[in-house]
Amino acid sequence: MSSDVEDLLREGMQRFTDGVRAPAGLAQLAGRRRRRRRIVRGTLAGAAAVATAAAVATAAASTVAQPGSSLAQARAAAYVVSRVKHALAAEHQVFAGRTMSSYSQPSVSWAYGAHNRYEEFTGTQCGHVTASGDCTHQGGSQRYLAAGTALVSGKLTGAYVTYYDHKFSLSAVYAGPASACGKGALLMGGPPVPTQHWSAFIRATLDCGAARVTGHVRVNGQETIQITGKPVTVRLSPGYGKTVHEHYARALWTLYVNPSTYLPVRMIGVTETFGGSGRPTRFQSVTNVRWLPPTPANAARALVTIPPGYHQVSSPAGQ
Amino acid sequence: MADEHVAAELEHFLAGRADQLLRTATLLAGSREAGQDLLQTALERLLRHWARLDGDPEAYLRRTLYNLATDGFRRQGRLQRKLLLLRAGAQPGSDPAAQVDLRDALVRLLIQLPPRQRAVLVCRYWEQLTEAETADLLGWPPGTVKSAASRGLRRLRDLAGRWQQAELHETGSRGSGR
Repeated sequence: MSSDVEDLLREGMQRFTDGVRAPAGLAQLAGRRRRRRRIVRGTLAGAAAVATAAAVATAAASTVAQPGSSLAQARAAAYVVSRVKHALAAEHQVFAGRTMSSYSQPSVSWAYGAHNRYEEFTGTQCGHVTASGDCTHQGGSQRYLAAGTALVSGKLTGAYVTYYDHKFSLSAVYAGPASACGKGALLMGGPPVPTQHWSAFIRATLDCGAARVTGHVRVNGQETIQITGKPVTVRLSPGYGKTVHEHYARALWTLYVNPSTYLPVRMIGVTETFGGSGRPTRFQSVTNVRWLPPTPANAARALVTIPPGYHQVSSPAGQ
Repeated sequence: MADEHVAAELEHFLAGRADQLLRTATLLAGSREAGQDLLQTALERLLRHWARLDGDPEAYLRRTLYNLATDGFRRQGRLQRKLLLLRAGAQPGSDPAAQVDLRDALVRLLIQLPPRQRAVLVCRYWEQLTEAETADLLGWPPGTVKSAASRGLRRLRDLAGRWQQAELHETGSRGSGR
């Protein structure tokens, strides 16, 4: 059999099952069928057997009702989390994320292996406020900064490019926050989401533990499994706490994964500051994710390119 | 009451995975209705063991699906499959515009294979499992998986060859009749 025919067989199977959707209440139906079958068996075996079966069923009910619920949910969560971690460890695709957040402007992230690129766009009001208080862009969304990795003389280097002033700076490759439960970003009231290294970040976040499967929702028309982490609360760094007049930050993340591939399709991070005399703040960021084949064109998008003619400065502070 | 509670837990477990499981069951059983019946039977077994299940429920459910399918799930299903094949086979001749292509034919031919060969091919080409993973899922020795896959593919190739010849013959007759 040629591989062409094997491919046709795969496609044929796909096509054959294309419109197949499981009806709602599948488990309830199985439960009813099982009960019917038990009754028929019991009737055949005689009244005494029915009584025994009922007694056993009642005894079983009392043992599984409450503990069984949390046990099964924990088991299902552990299973889903392990599948997501495996899927992320095995993926060789290009990550493409689009983030909308309550404070900063819209951004896109690309990642492929150790390569990554994060770009921020201006909102419709004011792109970037300069030292003089002027806006870099007004009245339309434009790209105004890129951060990530660039290949400079064949070496992978950290790069930061600002488009509005035609400047760039190079640095060591930034590792990013290790996980959503790591305290680094939270000490500064920052969001529990990375701008780079998404796969490693999500895997590390799932390792924080206490993740629960909290539902099944449709994201962009696609069925997903919703996984929610346990909220993490940290005391803000003294300097930042003094600035915002708050003492604590609490972060919560929610992940939505594709039930077939177990790859994330959306991640939401929320950070709240509270406990002081300041006004409590709430930061939310929503990142929608696509996984693209690693074609040369897609892979190239995971690198920052420095446009010709841009002026190099020693650090992002000069931009 | 307890059954309803367990069924609710199972519903929770199934959400998001039921479509994929039903697609696998449909391929194993040969039609959507038979697939649903097969999945229901597997779910009943899962329900029976739910409270004392130690390990991955999806793995248990998938293994049960394959075991039921390879054990010749509902012998009367064979008649249904034959009827399905007869109905599907009658379509191309009755309406030349609706001629099915080879990939559709291959799936219909797949349904004609013995259950064990069909299960191995579904594992390999639908679930994209390796031979070792297939052996693990089905609980068969790797050698059995290898030979069943090889026999299944050979048989499918023979059936596909005959199907193509019949198609060519039919196309030729229609062409000369014009």
